[in-house]
Amino acid sequence: MTATSKIEPVLDVSNLTTSFRIGGEWYPAVRGISFSLQPNETLALVGESGCGKSMTALSVLGLVPKANGRVEADHIRFEGKDLSRLPDEEMRKIRGNGISMIFQEPMTSLNPVLPVGFQVVEALRYHQNLSRAGRERRALELLDLVKIPSAKSRFKEYPHQFSGGMRQRVMIAMALACRPKVILADEPTTALDVTIQAQILSLLNELKAETDMSMIFITHNLGVVAALADRVAVMYAGDIVEIAGVGDLFARPTHPYTEALLRSVPRSDRDTKTLYSIPGAVPPLTRMPKGCRFTARCELAVDICRKQNPPLDALAAGDAHSVRCWVRGNHDRAALKENADV
Amino acid sequence: MTETVDVLPEHSRHPFIDQLQKAFRNNKLTGVGAVLFLFIIIIAIAAPLLAPHDPLQQHIIARLKGPSAEYWFGTDAYGRDILSRLLYGARVSLLISLTAIGSAMIIGSIIGIIAGYFGGMIDLLLMQVMDVLLAFPALILGLIVVAMLGPSMENLVIAIALTAIPPFARTARAPTIAVKERDYIEACRALGFGHPRIILKHVFPNVFSEILVMGSLWLATAIRVEASLSFIGLGVKPPTASWGGMIREGFENILDNVWLSVCPSMAILLVVFSLNLLGDGLRDAIDPKTRSDS
Repeated sequence: MTATSKIEPVLDVSNLTTSFRIGGEWYPAVRGISFSLQPNETLALVGESGCGKSMTALSVLGLVPKANGRVEADHIRFEGKDLSRLPDEEMRKIRGNGISMIFQEPMTSLNPVLPVGFQVVEALRYHQNLSRAGRERRALELLDLVKIPSAKSRFKEYPHQFSGGMRQRVMIAMALACRPKVILADEPTTALDVTIQAQILSLLNELKAETDMSMIFITHNLGVVAALADRVAVMYAGDIVEIAGVGDLFARPTHPYTEALLRSVPRSDRDTKTLYSIPGAVPPLTRMPKGCRFTARCELAVDICRKQNPPLDALAAGDAHSVRCWVRGNHDRAALKENADV
Repeated sequence: MTETVDVLPEHSRHPFIDQLQKAFRNNKLTGVGAVLFLFIIIIAIAAPLLAPHDPLQQHIIARLKGPSAEYWFGTDAYGRDILSRLLYGARVSLLISLTAIGSAMIIGSIIGIIAGYFGGMIDLLLMQVMDVLLAFPALILGLIVVAMLGPSMENLVIAIALTAIPPFARTARAPTIAVKERDYIEACRALGFGHPRIILKHVFPNVFSEILVMGSLWLATAIRVEASLSFIGLGVKPPTASWGGMIREGFENILDNVWLSVCPSMAILLVVFSLNLLGDGLRDAIDPKTRSDS
């Protein structure tokens, strides 16, 4: 369909649905999303809290709690394996090795009672067949790589002796430890202040260029997306509502939700007194509307929007820019009416 | 240990060491308890060197003597030196209590951590068993076990350990439940670690300090239970000296010589007192309930 799809994608997710059991019934938090990740590409997953972005990442890694969560997919293809059907034993070999994850909260993502260096060594021990000295040398290299000053002398220090930004660097070092093909970064800069954010982002950019890995970057910050992503998938209430190259998306936001998101970013080049905010809130998981889930907050909503969820269609044939919208999408009015009767 | 300046730690230390230091710095009684208990341990170990007489040697002529230069704390109904018997009794009491609490700590925390970590049916089943054990008062459970297996040092250890396992399981389970929800455990899962590894290397170190505090407090209880069981004749067999047994022997001659019962009672009091001081201080420094001032 697109020019890039000729290259074998590193990660290919097709029709992924993650549901949760609430009061005896299953409700999908992520419903039927598909995307693929090209080598050395950064795909940003954007959306507000609770739209299913983190769940997407956890589903890929098979970390959705089994007690009340369920992951279904046509396939989640990675290195020729279908992760959605892999037994846990096999899955463990992929976690942290082929695909690793950086978490949102650097303050709580490191074990407070273990030395920082030890935790990086641990990350290496499981997947790599290195001697003890080799592991420590590699861990030091990694801490240097993520630019922790005087890593050697800080190797035996505990997380409470590190600042938030430094801890996030350690987390990144741990995620990089086994040279993964894919990194899932779940809002890695959200908990950090702005200057540190910028440092971490440029670090991630550099590392990506150096190590030839791909990244899924989960965020709600469109500024971060512009700085980092190659492609952007906008998620709303468990759906991908728009997916496009980063330049294209910012130039031509098509889904009303994307548009509204972009309007609510504060801009230094415009003189505005009040900041736009999208009215209403994401409907709760247990009370999702039947049609398009954005209808209640959409200014353009028409009848069909309330009846049927639109498909995710390319804006033009062969266009990498796809959108899930009856009004703005590539449907002529006649088709709209026709569909309304279905 | 005296810490003079209190700035940011320049050496990296385990947070538990910091807590320990705080326990001793904030509450001087913690130190008193620790020193006292250490002192008693040393005395117990060095008993053969310190004891002026053979604890089992009977001197019929010198029976029921009061304190004197020869017999510092007097003699019992068989003319045995009470001081020597106290020293040797300390070995018995401490050995039984330490072994019992040590094994209860290990078994209890394994049960508690497994129950807390896996939750669900495993948790329910294990904790139900613990609750059943917990329903028996320590002394009654000890009675049942010793009555079933017969009085001996090993059975006494089993009896005391059995009463102490449930509280340790409970103590280990609660922080495990809290810890397993933390981000760093999920981070471990995202790195592909298996459950045994996560439990051993990442959960246990977080639970350890609370178990240790529990241990110091339960050691006092174990010494009391051991004395109680020995007192009612279910402890180590005479003529081996044990504090509880000595109280009972003294009890029969209490009108002739109060020293016989008072001395071992004081010894028990001293140990329990020192352990409670130590345990309370540690708990205050580690327990989040008393640590925060809400």
